[in-house]
Amino acid sequence: MASELELSVNGALHRVVVAPETPLLFVLRNALKLTGPRLGCGMAQCGACAVLIDGEEIRTCVTPTSYAVGKHVTTLEGLPALWGKPGELHPVQQAWIDEQVPQCGYCQSGMMIAAVRLLSRIPDPTVAQIKDAFTNTPPSPHLCRCGTYAAIIDAVKRAANTMRA
Amino acid sequence: MEAVGLTRRGFVTAGGALLVSFCLPGKVSATADAGRLASWLEVREDNTVLVRTGRTETGTGMSGYYTQVIAEELNMRPEAVSLLMGDTDRTPDGGYSAGFVYGMNNVRKVAAYAYQALLELAAARLGVIKAELLVVDGVVHGGGQSVTYGQLVQGQQLDLRIPVTGRPARADPNGWLGMTSLDGFNVGGDPPLKPMSEFKIIGTSFPVPGIPDKVTGKTRWSCDVRLPGMLHARMVRPVTLGSTLLRVGKVDRTLFPTANVVRKGNLLAVVAEDEWEAISAAQSVAADTRWTDWSGLPGSENLTGALREHEWGPPSGTKGDAAAVSLTKHSRTITASYEQSYVRHAPIGPFLAVADVRSDGSVTVWTHSAQSQGLRARLAHMLGKPAEKVVVRWLEHSGQYGRTTFGGDGAEADAVILSQLTGKPVRVQWTLQEDLAWSTASPGWICDTSAALDAKGNITALHYAFRSPHMTEVRALGALLAGLPGHTAKPGGFLAMEWAYDRVSNRLEEAFGMPNLGAEAASGGLRGHIMRTPGQRQQNFALESLLNEAAAATRTDPIEFRIRHTSEQRLIDVLKAAAKAAGWVTRASPHRNARKSGADTVVGQGVCVIKRQNAYWTGIAHVAVVPATGVVKVTHFTIAVDCGKVINPRQLDRCMKSGVVMGLSEALKEEVTFDTRKVTSTDWSRYRILTMEEMPEIAVVQLSRDDCGFGGGSEAANAVCPGAVAAAFFDATGVAARRLPLTPGYVAALLKS
Repeated sequence: MASELELSVNGALHRVVVAPETPLLFVLRNALKLTGPRLGCGMAQCGACAVLIDGEEIRTCVTPTSYAVGKHVTTLEGLPALWGKPGELHPVQQAWIDEQVPQCGYCQSGMMIAAVRLLSRIPDPTVAQIKDAFTNTPPSPHLCRCGTYAAIIDAVKRAANTMRA
Repeated sequence: MEAVGLTRRGFVTAGGALLVSFCLPGKVSATADAGRLASWLEVREDNTVLVRTGRTETGTGMSGYYTQVIAEELNMRPEAVSLLMGDTDRTPDGGYSAGFVYGMNNVRKVAAYAYQALLELAAARLGVIKAELLVVDGVVHGGGQSVTYGQLVQGQQLDLRIPVTGRPARADPNGWLGMTSLDGFNVGGDPPLKPMSEFKIIGTSFPVPGIPDKVTGKTRWSCDVRLPGMLHARMVRPVTLGSTLLRVGKVDRTLFPTANVVRKGNLLAVVAEDEWEAISAAQSVAADTRWTDWSGLPGSENLTGALREHEWGPPSGTKGDAAAVSLTKHSRTITASYEQSYVRHAPIGPFLAVADVRSDGSVTVWTHSAQSQGLRARLAHMLGKPAEKVVVRWLEHSGQYGRTTFGGDGAEADAVILSQLTGKPVRVQWTLQEDLAWSTASPGWICDTSAALDAKGNITALHYAFRSPHMTEVRALGALLAGLPGHTAKPGGFLAMEWAYDRVSNRLEEAFGMPNLGAEAASGGLRGHIMRTPGQRQQNFALESLLNEAAAATRTDPIEFRIRHTSEQRLIDVLKAAAKAAGWVTRASPHRNARKSGADTVVGQGVCVIKRQNAYWTGIAHVAVVPATGVVKVTHFTIAVDCGKVINPRQLDRCMKSGVVMGLSEALKEEVTFDTRKVTSTDWSRYRILTMEEMPEIAVVQLSRDDCGFGGGSEAANAVCPGAVAAAFFDATGVAARRLPLTPGYVAALLKS
């Protein structure tokens, strides 16, 4: 049955009326019009739908909306505010532009979320640490079918430099 | 600043003097008249230019390269050029979105015609002859005055006819793939083009225009289309490839108040106002739906055996000289048979489409197909409507890697049928499981090869016979299941090799085709389609592997062996450049320490080349193999290309590296599995692709040159990987791997045999 839930997304409070088990992805995309996270596998196997919830990476395609109640959700669209410097993109986003990472770009919202999460834990990751984070962090590797992994590594290194400056 | 016109006299002497007048913008449909320059290019008052192309961005940076080419010809900044891509009602050409070279010629010539027209206008305005005009960043200078393109046109349009050949895509039962043409229009004539020596924008790493919006979440993707009254749909697919519908499951209205079941033939779906409701209701309906059983596949483990037993008939493609076969029978010969299972495009985002079929007969479809005009014609054919009734709007989405090149595969037919039945706009989102089971795939194949060697160890004759289910499935799944008309493609095979070894004096190439596996199934069976570097990827693997085996048999270094068999200097140069960058050790394979058993790692080097679309590629793999486990790890990969003039070095670097990721994925991991009833590799744990951790260090070498035109700089990067990895595996173990992929299970068994 549908219930009214209050969600904090990208710093704003929203009331949505949904069945609480509805995966958060569909609420973000359809009710809140936040289309950064995208549907890939629908079973937490690819990472295209990733967002941050209280700073942790969460796959919204399998996470009930009720899980997000009382927590802070950050989508791709909320990354500049997370960085908090007016007029600037999040350094991860800027690095994604500077390094020309996206090809088709479908997976890249999730990739940037994973990068932000990684840099919050390891401010200056090695290539091995980047590969490990994008491959072995549960629940699954972040997959890119265009094959942009090398560009992602370059961009994470660039963003790390910016954020430590 | 550059003096314009001095090197362009050929245009005028060819009778190309332009009569330029004006007409009001927007009065003529772009698709109606591709011969009007204004259908392609619009100069705006703010001194920017909009170019319309039916081709689309597929993730390879096409939108950036087109922009660079157009800006170069117009002497404008690329930032002042924007593109409108892929909409059938607003763009003129259509055609394949695969392949830069052909599509680029259109926009380049369009820009060149416009440039001459603008010079004519400027000459009249400024009172000086064209040859005395200088253009910098869209501002024409002459006679001490200047005027912008925007001021010259003043919100009107260049009323100029340009020569165009080609036919629009329309249903044609006699045409290849059931269509008149899938090539789009071809802008003809010989407008003066800027010489490469004067390029300022081509050759620079101009950023791809769409990237900032993708990174900030502003891009409107095809999956983001929302229409008033739109229903969300999820398809309920048959339980086997050949099942037909026995009983339709019921929707529980107490649980799913807005959901409805929609059916046409074996096409079954659930629609609802809410997406999650549609998903949940579809799962519920699927559990309650009954289908006939069917069993008509050989099973993937028996695939290549079944292909060998098939009665193939005469070849559908033949090149070369039958003498090659008799030569191979009478001299020292190397023979080998290679094979690969089915692989598939497997984008991260499954198929999706939105359709709005109105009661007035109009049909609008939002798609990410790479073949908008072809898709439009196929949908019109399915509905029995003239193509003019169908509008296809293109938006970005997940990469396609060739699967929509013919305009057939996708969710569009599903969406159109459901919208027609419900009377509402419908958004159809396939699931990943559905996509990995039901979209077209690149068929498995077998290739028998032989090479005759003379006393010096040179190949005197070479033969290969490539056998595969066809790769030209152009019928949409939705149309097949609904029993609606689709196009028929002849189930033949095709030869895709561009031959790089001109010193092999005799050769015979043969391709044999057959229908889809399980073709008699209601769904069409395992539907075969081209995939990135189609045909040539597979055939080249077999040929390059044969060359490596021949080199080993004659104790010759594999690079030296290749150089002995070609006089194409571009290939020799790129081979040498790759060898240098890779630290290639000149010697014969296998390595003197090669071993096929034990728990200790053995290492090897291997090379593969390909010639495609005026480009020469070399891949060099370094691998580490643990014989006891069968695990093959690619430790380094070097990829080198000469694709003529490099347009955008950074994007080429990106495309080369990412192409290596896709190619290594195919070499090491990818295999569509199926039992006798259905596809079983239906999620990412069972259709496995390369992860970031599995990506080796990749070195890139680009040889840009100004004397050979433009070449294909992205596509074939994947195709040198499997051959190089297999060669490096042989170097490490002394055992030839003649089957892809080199999974631990296959490799361990191979090394024990």
